Amino acid sequence: MRILSLIKKEMLHLIRDKALVFILFWAFTGAVYTSGSGFTMEVKNFPTIIFDMSKSKESRELISRFQKPYFKIISFVENDRELIEWLDSGKASMAIVIPPDFVRKIDKMEGKIQIIIDGTMSLSATVAVAYVTEIIYDYGLEILERKMGVTGKFLENLPIIEQKTRIEFNPNVLSSWFMSMLEYFNMITMVSLLVTAAQMVREKEYGTIEQLLVTPVRNWEIFISKIIPTLVAIAIFSPITLFGIIKGIFGVPLRGNIFFFYAVMLFYAFTISSLGLAISTVAKNLAQAMMLMLVILIPMLFLSGAWTPPESMHPLMQYLSLISPMRYFIDFGYSVLFKGNGITYVWHDILGIILIGLVLFAFSSYQFKRSFSK
Amino acid sequence: MLKRLQGILKKEFRELLRDPLYLTFALIVPVIIIILMGYGLILDVKNIAVSFIDYDRSQLSREYRYAFTNSEYFRFYKLIDSYSEAEELIQSGVCRIVVVIPAGFSKNLYEGKKTDVQVLIDGSFPMRAEVMKGYTAAINNQFNEKLLKSLAWKAGFSKTNLLLGVETRAWYNPALESKNFILPGEVVTTLMFYSVLLASLIVVREKESGSIFNLYCSPVKPWEIVFGKAIPYIVITFVTYLIFFVLTVGLFKTKFTGSFVVLTLATVIYLACTVGVGVLISIIAKSQITAMLIAFLATVIPSFIYSGYFSPVTSMSEIGQFISKTIPATYFMIIVRGIYLKGFGLESFLSDLLALCIYGVMVYGIAILAFRKRIK
Repeated sequence: MRILSLIKKEMLHLIRDKALVFILFWAFTGAVYTSGSGFTMEVKNFPTIIFDMSKSKESRELISRFQKPYFKIISFVENDRELIEWLDSGKASMAIVIPPDFVRKIDKMEGKIQIIIDGTMSLSATVAVAYVTEIIYDYGLEILERKMGVTGKFLENLPIIEQKTRIEFNPNVLSSWFMSMLEYFNMITMVSLLVTAAQMVREKEYGTIEQLLVTPVRNWEIFISKIIPTLVAIAIFSPITLFGIIKGIFGVPLRGNIFFFYAVMLFYAFTISSLGLAISTVAKNLAQAMMLMLVILIPMLFLSGAWTPPESMHPLMQYLSLISPMRYFIDFGYSVLFKGNGITYVWHDILGIILIGLVLFAFSSYQFKRSFSK
Repeated sequence: MLKRLQGILKKEFRELLRDPLYLTFALIVPVIIIILMGYGLILDVKNIAVSFIDYDRSQLSREYRYAFTNSEYFRFYKLIDSYSEAEELIQSGVCRIVVVIPAGFSKNLYEGKKTDVQVLIDGSFPMRAEVMKGYTAAINNQFNEKLLKSLAWKAGFSKTNLLLGVETRAWYNPALESKNFILPGEVVTTLMFYSVLLASLIVVREKESGSIFNLYCSPVKPWEIVFGKAIPYIVITFVTYLIFFVLTVGLFKTKFTGSFVVLTLATVIYLACTVGVGVLISIIAKSQITAMLIAFLATVIPSFIYSGYFSPVTSMSEIGQFISKTIPATYFMIIVRGIYLKGFGLESFLSDLLALCIYGVMVYGIAILAFRKRIK
């Protein structure tokens, strides 16, 4: 029952710090909400300018196809200088240039449209170009069909392949679905790492760790009591995030088994907390601990597979990412909550999370014993 | 007056030098981060496993499949027989995309009829799904054009182009490589969270240890304390910037077309802002843990997603655009990309530089006002 009073002590530490509780609450509500609603990778309102040298019925018809929500035509320019200015200043990200002899070229069936795109953001540029190409291609096809209809020389119905695309799990490709969940996963990771490590390091900085050591408590009991309050905080806030924000506001269909997710999520928080403990046994003060956490956290957050497609990663990086618990958790989280998968698809992720957690916990205990037995 | 500031500066520098382990951390950590992210963070969607259900199994359907697998974007995974298998592959994440070619695919086309092809895409990562959709559409268009051309030939047309052509040119980054936008962006974001974090503990630490009382009862003014605390960290982060510059241009061979002097000038202003934010957090927070948490939450993720690093600020919702205006990285991002990739001079981003200056004045103003030499 020693451990219970230890846990009580740690819980009090956490609850008494009002500011800390408020920040944790914000992390699981406000931060998730703003990420989901504020940030988008969709090409939306893409700032576009048009240089229409043809000024014909056809060119106007084509221009009318570039519409919201994808594109926002912010200006019609009249010369090269203006065009360069818009792109250089970064106010426009794309320019569509219609040549002066557009109509004549269409008649001769060799019309060509030029797209100039700001390549400094290559990903949205790629998507925007794909949209534009699609629009121009469709328009071209329509003209062709119209012509053929009139002359009737060609085949009535053009033999073309039409793609019917279905995006599974997220049919409207909403990035709010993805971002809100990602932010929630990020927050679980950050909170478990930072709070656990900081609580432990504080004990060291204040010297109160010595007091704990002279009591009959065991090392693992100290550790568990440091981890539990963080887990409790996450467990209490998570339903608000999951049902209030992710499902309630953004309407993400949580397809998977929530209890299953919960169990693994808490174990993941344990694994990350153990990582925090391992850091706290090495660092002397919070400033040092912070640097160590930073160097581990940043690559973990951004190389987890959520931003970088694992397929595109350098092979060396792919191997390196195997030691990151977050990589498994991201895979697990989206797979279970989003795709509604059961254990058959994610057992290897769970195994990874558990193994890394146990290794880290054992390492911290060993390191702790070593540094204090002197 | 300046003498007191000098005194504080001397003390702060000495404190830094006294903990060589920390100083080493402070210089090495950002370097490790930028190297890992430089090699690791790739947004190019490439090498995606694709499977096919081919109910047609004809010469033409095979050509259609090759059109996919011959590109660098897709990698052939498997030829499967049924939808349930396709669902299974996408569900498990083994395959991100499955193309279904219907029976009668080639027959329809040869008879001059339209035909449908179904494409299933895993949407768990929407941006990737969007890019894949774009790729498949482009491949499909090309195939159609080839098809139409060959049929037009038979019908006696001899035109080279049947459809409207599109000629794309990407300025500033012709090959649309993500490397060229990742690394300058990485400089901006890393400098932001790292300098805020470094500075976020410097005042609150003294509050916890009680040594702040030495400052309280000394004659130093709040502004002297704020600047005395900030300047040493601006110096450290500036050294980091120099290392970053050498790494991005030297090691990663990022395109650099602008002026180093202008970049350095802008960086100094930027770092003054970010360190100021850290000092402000440190003054407001009551404990080191809260200071650290605020600093982490307010900088790490926001500097990546709201600064215009991954997607243009104009695409964001109003909340997003508002947040992006409150972080210095947004302004600096425009400057850094302008200098690295577009080769601009000072005159093209004076407004952003001005915004940073105003930002800095505000941050330091609030910090000085918030620092009270009294015990509550």
